[in-house]
Amino acid sequence: MSNIIKNDILIPISSKRAIKERLFKIFGLSAIIFSLSMLLILFTTIFSKGYSAFYQTRIKLDINFNEKLIDPIGTREIKTLTTADYSKLISQSLFKFLNIDKNHPKSSEIKSLISFNSFLILKDHVLSDPDIIGKTKKINLIASDDVDQMIKGNINLNISEENRKISDFQIEAINKLKSNGYILTVFNKTLFTKSDSREPESSGVLGAIIGSFYCLFVAVCISVPIGVSAAIFLQEFAKKNKITDFIEININNLAAVPSIVFGLLGLYVFINFFHLPRSSPIVGGLVLALMSLPTIVIVTRASLLAVPDTIRDGAVALGASKMQAIFNQVLPLATPGICTGVIIALARALGETAPLLMIGMIAFIPDTPIAITDPATALPAQIYMWADHPERAFVERTSAAILILLSFLIVMNAAAIYIRHKFEKNW
Amino acid sequence: MAEDQIISISKFNKLKKSTSKKVTISAQNISVFYSGKMAIDNINMNINQNEVTALIGPSGCGKSTFIRCLNRMNDVIENCTIEGKIILNGTNIYNPEVDIVKLRTNIGMVFQKPNPFPKSIYDNIIYAPRLHGLVNKKSDSDELVEKSLIEAGLFNEVKDRLNDSGTSLSGGQQQRLCIARAIAVNPSVILMDEPCSSLDPIATAVIEQLIDSLKKKITIIIVTHNMQQAARVSEKTGFFHLGKLIEFSDTSTIFTNPKEKKTLGYITGRFG
Repeated sequence: MSNIIKNDILIPISSKRAIKERLFKIFGLSAIIFSLSMLLILFTTIFSKGYSAFYQTRIKLDINFNEKLIDPIGTREIKTLTTADYSKLISQSLFKFLNIDKNHPKSSEIKSLISFNSFLILKDHVLSDPDIIGKTKKINLIASDDVDQMIKGNINLNISEENRKISDFQIEAINKLKSNGYILTVFNKTLFTKSDSREPESSGVLGAIIGSFYCLFVAVCISVPIGVSAAIFLQEFAKKNKITDFIEININNLAAVPSIVFGLLGLYVFINFFHLPRSSPIVGGLVLALMSLPTIVIVTRASLLAVPDTIRDGAVALGASKMQAIFNQVLPLATPGICTGVIIALARALGETAPLLMIGMIAFIPDTPIAITDPATALPAQIYMWADHPERAFVERTSAAILILLSFLIVMNAAAIYIRHKFEKNW
Repeated sequence: MAEDQIISISKFNKLKKSTSKKVTISAQNISVFYSGKMAIDNINMNINQNEVTALIGPSGCGKSTFIRCLNRMNDVIENCTIEGKIILNGTNIYNPEVDIVKLRTNIGMVFQKPNPFPKSIYDNIIYAPRLHGLVNKKSDSDELVEKSLIEAGLFNEVKDRLNDSGTSLSGGQQQRLCIARAIAVNPSVILMDEPCSSLDPIATAVIEQLIDSLKKKITIIIVTHNMQQAARVSEKTGFFHLGKLIEFSDTSTIFTNPKEKKTLGYITGRFG
């Protein structure tokens, strides 16, 4: 008898279920590997395309601040100094160095080596220190995007000249500058200190970051107090009846509404009805607040539900009112969960483009917004717009902006995870 | 065999003879309905001052519901209606003018599962006194925390770690912390709803000793599933069955010479 049982156990289960289990494990593992490799591909492509935008080519030139050109009368009036033709100083310096006559037929090609906006740098120098007039100073000027791309090796020099963005004459000049150490590669500060521009080399994401920040600020100020108090009321105070059931179903539905619908709502209600300024972070923030509200309500309710009833009973039995029990004992315990939910909802709002489309935040705005009512754009909107530009330099800036947005999202999500682990309490 | 056990318990209780004492709580015709369904039916019970009253009975018999009526904890539950009167020192606690905060400071409660707040031991105890404005100065708070912990027999175990989380204590210590928390507001009555059901026998014995020492100051009403415990700690015992109070008298009488057949059946383990 015992023999039979022993033999029975020894027969291996080579049956279908063992195979099924193994298959399932393999399937699960390959699903994870597949998604991780997709993620890896995504990150490597963005990074390999975008990292070069974090440095920039500069051309160092001896600029002679010629008094005759800047201020021929010598009055040093601000008006004279601001309207002087600083571009001429740059081209003079270039021509002098390259030994080219200013009437040379290709002299304009040489002028375009330097970024069009570089004269502003010289103007700033003169305005901040008028004594510089008459002297010669070495100044780093931003190279034009084509020079930048050539130095970064993104332009194929082997194809015929007419198919290239940069001419043989320019290449010769660049090589001469390069061999004299006049071409530098430096960290691209412009990307973080300037807003959008038509010239890729002087465009940056500062305006977009500030716009995004203002939007999120408005969204937090509105959605967190409203969402959390609505959730507390629904979860702890409201009687369970058909009306609250109806509200609950609709909150869940709202969380699934496409974000562009919220954008339409913002357009009609905030801009057309309340006449709030178009393209402004306040409208963007209001729309994003509406969009994140359902998520915040749902997450807060779930966090409150996770606090055991014994805590409420304990506080009430000590003579606390219902509100005291909730605010003194229950809410502190639910806070980590609420924070996590809020951060995740906001991270989603940060990456949202569609609602901004409807309220005019996807627009070329070269100014950095100062107030929440100034026209502004947001990071994802900036990415969307740059992706539309044909210039190579904008391609790398698009990827760089994506990297910046992703790092913000990673920081926010990491904060959410940290808060959850740090303040999670056991009972 | 069961009879022998009962006799030994009765020996244990020999000295606990109840004399006529002052009635603290008097429940008169209490009935409770949950969404119209009757949970307890017309209970009348007088609870004497400075005595331990045990409520026993099978699960779902209404003893927890009854004990929760005594400090109006059932108010929190939706669709719960209560009929009848509960007289505490001459006042009906269901009188609309009664201040529920004062009532609950007067009648504390300890629950089945130890439920310390996930805060420090110190904050657990000082929460209610602060809430009711009983303490103002830091020194008063320290004194009150120490006094409550000493009375709950926990002080020596936790005096070096008052800032540790209350949830870091063992189950029995947590339950004593909950008792300390309840007595910090100086109640005259403490309700205990199966306070030892999640504790091991040693922790249970400690709590029982604590109950014995507390009753000098405080009237205690304890719901328990453990009949030996009822016999050990209480002067009076009430037996509940299907929402009715079947029998209520001295503990020694209930366990040696019950009048009702149902009581006898329950205490000898024939049903329940």
